[in-house]
Amino acid sequence: MQGYIYPNEFELHWSILVVVYPYVTGLVAGAFILASLERVFNVKEVQPTYRLALLTALAFLLVAPLPLLAHLGHPLRSYEIFLTPNRQSAMAMFGFVYAWYLMVVLLLEIWFDYRKDLVLWARQEKGLTRWIHYALTLGATDLSPRALSFDERMGRWITIIGIPSAFLLHGYVGFIFGSVKANPWWSSVLMPVVFLFSAIVSGIALVLIIYMVSAMLRWKPVDMKCVDKLAAFLFYAMVVDFSLEMLDFIHRLYESEESIEILSQMIESRLFISLIVLQVALGTLLPMITLGLTAPALSKRSAVKLPDELKRLIYLGSAILVQIGIFSIRWNVVIGGQLFSKSLRGLTVYKLELFGVEGLLAAAALLILPFVILWVLVKILPPWPEAEAKLPRAEDDSGAVTGAVPLR
Amino acid sequence: MAKFDPFRGTRVPQQVPRLVAVFAVAIIGLLVARYFLVPDTFGQLGHYRAAALDTIVAHEKKYAGQQACQLCHFQIMQKRLAGNHKGVGCESCHGPAATHVSDPAQIKPSIPSEREFCLRCHEYSPSRPTGFPQIDPVRHNPMSFCSNCHDPHAPEPPVIPGQCSACHGQIARQKAVSHHAGLECTTCHEAPEEHKVTPRLVRPTKPTERSFCGGCHARDADSPPHIPRINLRLHNPRYVCWQCHYPHYPETP
Repeated sequence: MQGYIYPNEFELHWSILVVVYPYVTGLVAGAFILASLERVFNVKEVQPTYRLALLTALAFLLVAPLPLLAHLGHPLRSYEIFLTPNRQSAMAMFGFVYAWYLMVVLLLEIWFDYRKDLVLWARQEKGLTRWIHYALTLGATDLSPRALSFDERMGRWITIIGIPSAFLLHGYVGFIFGSVKANPWWSSVLMPVVFLFSAIVSGIALVLIIYMVSAMLRWKPVDMKCVDKLAAFLFYAMVVDFSLEMLDFIHRLYESEESIEILSQMIESRLFISLIVLQVALGTLLPMITLGLTAPALSKRSAVKLPDELKRLIYLGSAILVQIGIFSIRWNVVIGGQLFSKSLRGLTVYKLELFGVEGLLAAAALLILPFVILWVLVKILPPWPEAEAKLPRAEDDSGAVTGAVPLR
Repeated sequence: MAKFDPFRGTRVPQQVPRLVAVFAVAIIGLLVARYFLVPDTFGQLGHYRAAALDTIVAHEKKYAGQQACQLCHFQIMQKRLAGNHKGVGCESCHGPAATHVSDPAQIKPSIPSEREFCLRCHEYSPSRPTGFPQIDPVRHNPMSFCSNCHDPHAPEPPVIPGQCSACHGQIARQKAVSHHAGLECTTCHEAPEEHKVTPRLVRPTKPTERSFCGGCHARDADSPPHIPRINLRLHNPRYVCWQCHYPHYPETP
């Protein structure tokens, strides 16, 4: 503690779990927006990561509310936000934003994209997996060209709806912080936009990491065109994100409200490592410069010519640094906003627990859980190109079979 | 026999009815859950269960309210309402008094006499509003009950202290039993009037020259002969006297 703080500010109320929540939600939104690049904006190079990005978004989305439930306690009461919706509360409306995104956007898009494969897998397989895949088709086993083209069209439409929904999902998280008038560290109209672009950055970086690591684990070659494109998009998103953050920073400096002194003290002391070192230097500038030089972002060829192996290593390293940087952003927003007194005269400290619901281990478990879910999802719905089932020739060409094809 | 398919021959793709069914189940499930789980009176008065008010009303009443006090303690009430504690309810200090009202002879409300009780509001804290009466309990007449000097039903507003001992009691008591008992505080300290109003902003002075103490304690000083003397020129010339000697309780030579 330093200077004067009010008695109720001594202990922080929003712990590391509240840091994990926007971080995870950001990954969901970012991964989905990456998937939409292929679908809506027709970026063919990133096609190998399309399904992986969707499954990643789903795995992380399933975990997204868990930090909140763990933090709030009484998880058995959580369904009540659906039963008695409070339209005056942005936090209470989260349940509906979440449900919309999960049910209408992500699950539907995955379902339409995988339906053909689910039907074909169900036909080829035996045992439990056959029934799991058949159940997932919901009995819609029609593989006629008309049905498949309907899947395709619907998938595209849902992605188009999904982009504003992803913006809503993560913009909403920024909105929650940005609308806290009493807190000068949070209260900024730029907050939802900054959150959104940092989400895109983190999502692209995460899918890049998962794609490269999964290729390594499966002993498959990495598609260099794909990772080059991902690295280039990561670079573009980082440039926009960094510019917005700088804009926010300069705006605060120019506005120079009465809080500026305590905030600059906080940045110089409490947040020096997490903001200056981790967020700006290691998490943003270093990977941005590295990607700018190595990825084919500014021209068709990268500025520095490197062998593919080294490039992959640099991309992976940069993406990991970006994750550290984005987690630091969430940390600096959530924890930073509670470190200074509303009297603007003192700073408190955050003591992170190791055990306990709000501890470091619980947060780490919540960050590992999406990968476990992703592993299960990948087992059920393999996103790899070689796993994609081929249509039988008779149905593929002529379209003669137009009705429902029963499970054989 | 042909399989039953209600959409056979229509242009509705097979996926649509299946998805509609899934969403219908989810929405109907939500509506059914709402029907059974949302309390009947929810939302009648606001975003809460209106019947909760009845539950709260049914709680045992512990507070009587000051109107009830007024019936018997009218004079005290009038005194309090005219004073600085007019905004503090009777039961804020005397505790819940519903039982006392129902049986005044047998059950008496508490009379808080310990200092800690008054200090809940009047202990010095920088977060309290400027001008709110606050004291430092260590310095402000320790061991004495607040009500010995203050009438809680008509507390006096803070006054500008007439004497230094009002705030610096510890020093005053120490000085009173020392060899410097006969000296006024202002003999050594210059205390501007503003110090009494804004003690932290305007500070009193301290002697900064050795010659000040030398006025009594130098070899050639014009002072009574029993006062200890020193050679100002040779006795630790680099220090001001109070850096080694505590003037509020100077040691016996």
